[in-house]
Amino acid sequence: MSGATETEGLRLKSSEFRKAREASWRDLESLIARAEKKGARSLSAEELQRLPLLYRATLSSLSVARSVALDRNLLLYLENLALRAFLVVYAPHARQLESVVDFLLRGFPAAVRRARWHFLIALLLQIVGGVAGYLLTIADESWFTAIVPASLAGDRGPSSTHDSLYNDEIHAPWPGFAESFALTANFLFSHNTVVGILIFSLGVAAGAPSVLLLIYQGLIMGAFLALHADRGLLVEILGWLSIHGITEITAITLCGAGGLLIADKILFPGRHSRLDTVAREGRAAAQIAIGAIPLLFVAGILEGGFRQLVQSTAWRFAIGGTSGLLWLAYFMLSGRRAR
Amino acid sequence: MTAQSWERASEFLEGGRRRRRDIVTPEGVSLPFDLADYGERAVAFVLDVVFQNVITMVLLLVAIFAFFGGHKAFSDIAGPVMIAITLFTAFLVRNFYFIHFELSWQGATPGKRIIGIRVADRHGGPLRPAAIVARNLTREIEMFLPLSLLSGLGEGSGVWQKLSLGVWFTLFLLLPLFNRDRMRAGDLIAGTTVIAVPKRILLADLVERAARYAFSDRQLGAYGAFELQVLEELLRRPNAPDAERLRREVCDKICRKIEWPEPIASTDCAAFLRDFYTAERNHLEREQLYGRHRADKDAAAERAGGLDARN
Repeated sequence: MSGATETEGLRLKSSEFRKAREASWRDLESLIARAEKKGARSLSAEELQRLPLLYRATLSSLSVARSVALDRNLLLYLENLALRAFLVVYAPHARQLESVVDFLLRGFPAAVRRARWHFLIALLLQIVGGVAGYLLTIADESWFTAIVPASLAGDRGPSSTHDSLYNDEIHAPWPGFAESFALTANFLFSHNTVVGILIFSLGVAAGAPSVLLLIYQGLIMGAFLALHADRGLLVEILGWLSIHGITEITAITLCGAGGLLIADKILFPGRHSRLDTVAREGRAAAQIAIGAIPLLFVAGILEGGFRQLVQSTAWRFAIGGTSGLLWLAYFMLSGRRAR
Repeated sequence: MTAQSWERASEFLEGGRRRRRDIVTPEGVSLPFDLADYGERAVAFVLDVVFQNVITMVLLLVAIFAFFGGHKAFSDIAGPVMIAITLFTAFLVRNFYFIHFELSWQGATPGKRIIGIRVADRHGGPLRPAAIVARNLTREIEMFLPLSLLSGLGEGSGVWQKLSLGVWFTLFLLLPLFNRDRMRAGDLIAGTTVIAVPKRILLADLVERAARYAFSDRQLGAYGAFELQVLEELLRRPNAPDAERLRREVCDKICRKIEWPEPIASTDCAAFLRDFYTAERNHLEREQLYGRHRADKDAAAERAGGLDARN
């Protein structure tokens, strides 16, 4: 063994490096494993302070290892550890309740204000649909059955009389607490939310389905108004619809605005790449759509619970109008001040 | 080391099945990651749907016991209230299951965690709550609507309408197959992607301090980083007859290549390879520090002036 003395002093820089740093990697690994399993909340305050330091130390270890080491296992391990630590360190950290409050007070109204043109377009589409539905149905009532799906129409239709509409619909008796607040409000909320999510997410398909759905919503509304106007119940139906409708239409329009925002960025990406623009605006659009869900919840309560409880048309207008003003003030004013 | 030789070693040793991407962290270090496979994502989704249903049913059972175990006065409103509770729970679970878990489990749902995949920002930024919400709202048109359509296909009316809708939604469903980052529509608008995060274990260093064999620089110059890493993998294999046979073969090959004077006995094979690995790594790492990185043995020959390697 003549060469033994020569190689005795063989000290690999990468091995020395590993010996010096390994303890901190192991430390980080155990913290990450715990955070992955039980959430970042399970780490103590001191550990939470250590986490980003260890993460940065590991990143720098990785950079060094890439230039000095050829140990494949070591490099793979460090890349993997750095990636896992990265995912924990940059995970959404805010407490859920806190971020919900912040979202409702600032993020949501601000996102809506930024998308005001999309909101107006979505509203306009519904109005166009509404006018068309009204004109068609007032001229020929068979359009009512063509436009309004049977599940929505119930037993209303060209054969309805003034009295049947007045007694069975507009001034139908209140069905009681459980029925109205629990059952009907619930069903309406779930149903409307699915419609809202649909209108929003179909924006991904370049917006055409969103536009069609918005117009269709308007058509249904217009057909309803025309049928009642013909029976001399225009004011009553407006009151009956306004108590919840103002909130509900606002929410649906918001979902539409979100969908149109995405469609807008897909069709006209502007200076950045299409994917990047869509990704950035998609998040803003999603904020608008998710914010519309509480509105739909309120609308469901108003429609299922209060609409038949409040039997006077004047009061219905009052409640509807107040809700409209409140929403307007909320979207115009909330979160305007910088934090 | 250069990315190319790295890729080559990974491809050779792991089959290159995965699709690698890089993100650059805010600290400016690029981290490679693997995109999740279609299969992994599908299985995770199926698991999540199963969990959703289990959660809904458990909540429902709790509600049933709460009502029917309670006062008699409740019994007349129990029916509609029960239905309402069912509807509402199902609705909540269906719409907020993914959002809740991805928010509180760093981009993983129970199904994803079991499979070992995560949601991450496509460009390496922090994963924002709004992104999680955005990618999950579109699930409605991508997954649940096609599913409900499928379950309602048997009903007679409007077959063509249903068929065209089916095609339309299938396009959404298959969107991940048609882009290089395997994004579904939700990932597209949220700027996210789903990645595989397997756990890697740090194994012992193979470098041996006391060496029996010594090699000259000329002998070590015969190989490059790629061969070194394949050798590393071979040395890390457990001692099965199969691995021993392979080591024997590799040992003979190396001896021929570097013109080792004396034959190596079968029992010394592992020790020889270990020493050779240590010396080779030392050599290559030192050379790399001097800016002379060698990807593999052919690159090494070229740099040496390579008269014989070309023939």
